Amino acid sequence: MLRLISLLLPALIPSWRFFKTVAPSPRVEYRLLHRGEAGDWQEDRPRPAHLSFFTMLRRMLWNPAWNEQLFMVSCAERLVEADSPHSSAHSEDEINRRIARLLPMADDTELQFRLVFWYRDGAQLVKEVEFESTPVPVNSLRVRSHDY
Amino acid sequence: MTIELALRLSEILLAFALFQQSLEQLAVRYAWADPLVFAVRLALCLPLIAGLEVTLVLAALWGIGLWQLWRYQGPYNGGSDKMTLLILTCLLLAHAAPTQFWSEMALSYLAVQLVLSYFVSGWIKVINPEWQKGEALRDVFRFSAYPVSEGLRALADRPLFLLAMGWAVILLELAFPLTLLDPLALKIALACTAAFHFSNACFFGLNRFFWIWICAYPSLIWFQDRIVGSI
Repeated sequence: MLRLISLLLPALIPSWRFFKTVAPSPRVEYRLLHRGEAGDWQEDRPRPAHLSFFTMLRRMLWNPAWNEQLFMVSCAERLVEADSPHSSAHSEDEINRRIARLLPMADDTELQFRLVFWYRDGAQLVKEVEFESTPVPVNSLRVRSHDY
Repeated sequence: MTIELALRLSEILLAFALFQQSLEQLAVRYAWADPLVFAVRLALCLPLIAGLEVTLVLAALWGIGLWQLWRYQGPYNGGSDKMTLLILTCLLLAHAAPTQFWSEMALSYLAVQLVLSYFVSGWIKVINPEWQKGEALRDVFRFSAYPVSEGLRALADRPLFLLAMGWAVILLELAFPLTLLDPLALKIALACTAAFHFSNACFFGLNRFFWIWICAYPSLIWFQDRIVGSI
């Protein structure tokens, strides 16, 4: 109950501090491990090179994939902030499931993701790995999704 | 504007925003409970638009909002989810209030929060040297997770343009409370802030912010007329 109140209060008494600072920004990268052999890291849902104005207008009404991606950004930030073990486990699980949702079922294959944070140091852009997950069988994530 | 009209307009706009959010959530299905809850929320938008059993419908939608907070361990869509819950709470309290006075207090709270959402946002930027120099907005385009395409990152190479845009937003947000002094100025300011949300939706994909923020606009037009206009 206390947890629920702590989640509700910021909605009822918001701080409205949007973009107070531009903090290091996360990207989710993942790789597949087949029978222990690791593949290359790849960015989850890389953004397109360009978007037409028409597509931007369409996304005013229909933007589920991007909004899911923004939720994964929130999960990445919560995971690194590590407010509580429950919150961290929830965020890790959410990211795992949402990556796995778009992968085909694959036997003997595990999924591992990492959180890469981009920030500016002086005039230079820096990329730093802040978190690596424990590999999880892809099929278990797909099956578990029905047990939620 | 009467309080009844302000409430009705907010309810219709809110029903549309929730309908849009729910359809998007239904498209991202991967857990059995999620589609069920969002289908219920989708269905509840219909009586809300029609004005049927509004108090009960708002209470049910508020309960679903609370469930979402628990399900996602916080907002799914950041500030837009917070604003959704705030609007639901204020509209529900306005309907359930025992007297007209408390109804007006509930709607006034929403109006004040809307003003604060702009003013506080402007204030924390104007006191930050990174925002003053235009560097913060450059960073948003340079490396943040928000630009919807890689091509948009090229805007980071136009510092003067971003400096001007950043200050335009800061000044709009800081001046927003002053527009309460005149009904026409308020409506012009609301058109500007709606355009600001629209540009955020185009550049950063924050479409839900646009739809949910305008739901609160009727409350502020009523507030200006009822409270500030009568002083």
